[in-house]
Amino acid sequence: MTVTNPESVPALEFAGLTKRFGENVAVDHIDLVVPPGSFFGLVGPNGAGKTTSLSMAVGLLRPDGGTVRIFGRDVWADPVAAKALIGVLPDGLALPDRLSGREILLYLGLLRGMSREVVLERADELLRVLELDGAEPAPVVDYSTGMRKKITLATALLHSPRLLVLDEPFEAVDPVSAATIRTILQRFVAAGGSVIFSSHVMPLVERLCDHVAVIAKGKVLASGPLGEVRGGQALEDAFVHIVGARAGGTEGLSWLAS
Amino acid sequence: MARVLIQMRAAIMRRATSGRRWIGVALLAVLVTLLAVTTLLAGLVRYRYPGAGADVVATLSLGWLLGWIAGPLLTGDDAALRMDYFKLLPIPPRLLARAMLGAAFANVSLLFSLIAFAALIALGARSGVAAALTGVAGTALDLMLAVVASTVAIAAFGPTISSRRGRDFGTILLALTITLLSLASGLVPLVAKRLTDGHSPVLAAVVRILPSGWGAVAVDAAGRSDWGLVALALGGLVALIVVLVVAWPPLLARRLTMSARGGRRRAHGAKPGEPVLPSTPLGAVIGKELRMYSRSVLRSVMLMISFLVGVLVGVISALGGKTEGLPFAGLLFTVIAAACFTNFYGDDGTSLWLTLVVPGAVRPEVHGRVWAWFLVVGPAGLLITVVFTAISGQTWSWPWVLAGEPAMIIGSAGLLALIGVVSVDAPDADGGPSPARVLKTHLALIVIPVVTLFPAAALLFAGEAGHSLWLRWLAVPAGLAWAAWLCRYSVVRAQRRLQAQGPEIFARLRTSAS
Repeated sequence: MTVTNPESVPALEFAGLTKRFGENVAVDHIDLVVPPGSFFGLVGPNGAGKTTSLSMAVGLLRPDGGTVRIFGRDVWADPVAAKALIGVLPDGLALPDRLSGREILLYLGLLRGMSREVVLERADELLRVLELDGAEPAPVVDYSTGMRKKITLATALLHSPRLLVLDEPFEAVDPVSAATIRTILQRFVAAGGSVIFSSHVMPLVERLCDHVAVIAKGKVLASGPLGEVRGGQALEDAFVHIVGARAGGTEGLSWLAS
Repeated sequence: MARVLIQMRAAIMRRATSGRRWIGVALLAVLVTLLAVTTLLAGLVRYRYPGAGADVVATLSLGWLLGWIAGPLLTGDDAALRMDYFKLLPIPPRLLARAMLGAAFANVSLLFSLIAFAALIALGARSGVAAALTGVAGTALDLMLAVVASTVAIAAFGPTISSRRGRDFGTILLALTITLLSLASGLVPLVAKRLTDGHSPVLAAVVRILPSGWGAVAVDAAGRSDWGLVALALGGLVALIVVLVVAWPPLLARRLTMSARGGRRRAHGAKPGEPVLPSTPLGAVIGKELRMYSRSVLRSVMLMISFLVGVLVGVISALGGKTEGLPFAGLLFTVIAAACFTNFYGDDGTSLWLTLVVPGAVRPEVHGRVWAWFLVVGPAGLLITVVFTAISGQTWSWPWVLAGEPAMIIGSAGLLALIGVVSVDAPDADGGPSPARVLKTHLALIVIPVVTLFPAAALLFAGEAGHSLWLRWLAVPAGLAWAAWLCRYSVVRAQRRLQAQGPEIFARLRTSAS
């Protein structure tokens, strides 16, 4: 495809993206556009298809139908070009965990063809900013869940990608580290980068994102600039309204704290 | 409360043995029954040397007691009733300790051990009713000691199970069991021969002095109507059991409040020195792999087992006077090391995602893993082969081992990459190897040497049959050429498959991880 105006090419674009697991349609013809330079929040209840969609976006899960483009490059037809542009933070996947944080970063940097000096310099900086330098040289197997999240984020940032695809980046992260990650991501967007991340935490999405998409049962129910999607109310209320869910917890349990 | 724990264990065991898993459990049960019956029969055998029967039973009891202590220690904990379950319950440690000990007695393994320890009754029955009754008491006390010692050992020395590292121990247990069984088949006849001939008074004294031998000592003494020694030996067992029971609650209390985190190691890699490997994608993968070989418990154990079995099988038969096996120690080591590492991607679990999201990473990934295995196993295998062949004095074997070992190293380096990509067996829920992975390793033990060595072997056998020395030496270059082609072919195939099927392979790992 010819790219006429690079400014207008979406950072990430799903077109008719579909994934089935047996009878269950996990992602049902999703169309979604993440504008370049946006901070994009993907929200939805458990099992909505968030992780499935993001996995298909980064080349970890083959779609049954539809396309994913990253800055105009088809992830599944032209994977090398597309993957060079993204940094990925998956949720709950393993690392070569007998390596220390610095060793993992060095390994990945060299694997991407970066020079040793650049990798070591960036690795030191990333470890320092993410406050993982104190853990060296302990292997990642001894890290806490939050620390693993942070070292995985470092692997996503190392090669200075143009788009970050982050699955639940704030889960199990302590408040101080969460603030650090927030600041890093905001600086990344301010410098022209794009971010799409999934989360359950509405106040966080509201605070960080300029665009949101609400997905449930494999479909996009609402998508666009934050203000449009929430329509004057809190995102949390808008979410419950859009998803059509009824917040439970009011009946039964009469014995609790009686 | 012991009853609640027993019901809980029964429920967990029922789930664990449902589905296809019961086949493995049934096989294990048959194996253990055979071992137990063999032990029992050993108590019935008459030996020429007086007292040899007691020595043999004492030795076998030591084996069973060690099994009771080592099993749970290595698996990390009682596989069904993990201590972590009880950490948060408001139960006094003393009550919990008593309940857990009670629950420990409701263990099916006791049935097998009962059969095995009944060897004491069989041993006594040969010398009369009194000795047989002493055997009954000895059997009961040995069973109690086994349960109590096994429970206490976990609290005293057990690994911190809730850490990720703790998962490694299930793997070690399985691997060590296989190794010990295969080595025992060689060692036991040697030990038994020495004991039954009365050639080794030191060995006999050692197995009798250990608590596991006290039951046999008592039965032996009852046969001679040495009632003082009977009382001393049985009394010693009772005292030991009492001491362990008293020590148990405080040990449990200490254990439950212990932090799950292992000590932080600061030993390795404090400062990145001058890089030995090239700063390229291939160098990065080789570096990562070499670190994994030295630090991953699973990999170290597999290497250790390959070395132990490979070397000891030859050495044990050499001790018996047969040195024909020594030259092939290196070959055996290499074959086992190849078979153990046929599950590269399965063993590393979902970390395959890194290879999939980094553009162009597949080629260096596959090549780097092959090189790393080659660097770890190759020099060691070659060294063992050359040294052992030279020591053995079996000069006829030089063309055999020189045609076999280099071809084996090069050929299997490629083959294991291909097998590792074609069949990916993710670890089971406890992080241990799945039954399918164990089966694959055993198949690979046969398939890899056959595929790698058949051209060389054909020439060697033809050379032997036709008494042709040059035909035998021709096997060396022929073996190498075939292995080089096989390695290249396998690596290219592995690479193409990972390239084309990466997400599908990853999906298999991910499904079993979640």
